[in-house]
Amino acid sequence: MDTQWSRYEVFEKERLDWPHRNAGSVHAPDGEMALLNARDVFVRRPSCLSLWVVPSDQVFSKTAQELAEDDSWRNAPAQAGAPLEKYLAFQKQGQRAGETFVIHVGEVEARSPAEAMSRALETFSHDNAFVWWVCPDRAVTKSDAEDAASMFEPARSKVYRQPNFYRVLTQMQQFKAGLAFIGEDEE
Amino acid sequence: MTPDVERAIAAQLLAMADDELILGHRDSEWTGHGPILEEDIALSNIAQDELGHAILWHNLRKEITGDEPDVVVFWRDAQAYRNVQMVELPKGDYAFTIMRQYLFDAAEMARLAQLVESRYQPMAEVAAKIRTEEIYHTRHTSTWIKRLGLGTEESHRRTQTALDELWAYALQLFVPLPEEAALVAKGVVPEAGEVQAAWEDMVVPFLKHAGLIVPRTRHPIAMSREQHTEHLTALLAEMQEVARLESPEVRW
Repeated sequence: MDTQWSRYEVFEKERLDWPHRNAGSVHAPDGEMALLNARDVFVRRPSCLSLWVVPSDQVFSKTAQELAEDDSWRNAPAQAGAPLEKYLAFQKQGQRAGETFVIHVGEVEARSPAEAMSRALETFSHDNAFVWWVCPDRAVTKSDAEDAASMFEPARSKVYRQPNFYRVLTQMQQFKAGLAFIGEDEE
Repeated sequence: MTPDVERAIAAQLLAMADDELILGHRDSEWTGHGPILEEDIALSNIAQDELGHAILWHNLRKEITGDEPDVVVFWRDAQAYRNVQMVELPKGDYAFTIMRQYLFDAAEMARLAQLVESRYQPMAEVAAKIRTEEIYHTRHTSTWIKRLGLGTEESHRRTQTALDELWAYALQLFVPLPEEAALVAKGVVPEAGEVQAAWEDMVVPFLKHAGLIVPRTRHPIAMSREQHTEHLTALLAEMQEVARLESPEVRW
């Protein structure tokens, strides 16, 4: 039996003018706990405005290479009677260090993940799009705006989470530089 | 402020700081041993928050007494600590740790909601700061209590056992300190009975909703913060061991 909890993808929005960005993943028994786990794992830095989590198995993803090589996924039929619903679309837009995660680019309406992927490919620019993700909006658990004060703001005052809070850092630098221990005048 | 009032405020600050410090230390014992990685990180965050709260209260107390927090924490023996017994109990299983944290967080929520209105302004400011974190702690622990209480037969049994063991200990959080009445009269701290009533309004319906039976006892496990279990001595021996290798003046 697999005793591991399900995996959830975590999306973090760090600034008002930035999109939600995939930060990594957490394990959790359900969306609500995934949101709390995401906060504890990823929001140690004091710049988060909003968090989303979605079960990893709800994400339909294609790399640009896969899209170029194989079109057969487009033929997957939608479930009979599946409603038209909102999907979120994401892209990985670069290969440099800061761009290794997919970012939220917009929404499409579709009846299945494959249809949502097709809509996304029609709707959004392919320039520098290395990976495409879509997931149904209803599968996403989102932090509320009123959560921000208790979930994210306290991180701002936690200077003790920063390495430079500890004198030992400057002392180690002095040791490494071969300097004598300077006890009192370094603060 | 008269010396009497100053002394009474310092006693309040010490009690709150010691509760936070010892609970934070007990929580930190799970670091590296949590049930799963994410929860290990979450509880370690909570432990760090509680230590942070202890520092805030100690720094405030230092303005009155001049006592250095490091000295107060690392060079005081068990009989001089003023925490409630609940926080010094061994960490137990995870249901016990989460139930203790929940009952404590809820008490903090009830107390801080009134303490932010304290007529002693520095206390009101620290209370406001701590409160936002306690909102999150309560959310985390209550989310767990619901799942443990309504989860499997085993998780329910362990959670009920924890509640049965902890209830009388939790009631000690609402026993007034010896000189508290004067501070209540001056609007510095809330009346303990009111805090307890607010706490019960919060936790009793919630615990029932989580499928748990709230114990009937109305008697706190102890009426004085000068009484401790043997567990505090062992905890302090470990916590203070490294600091006491050197004299208090040594800088780390």
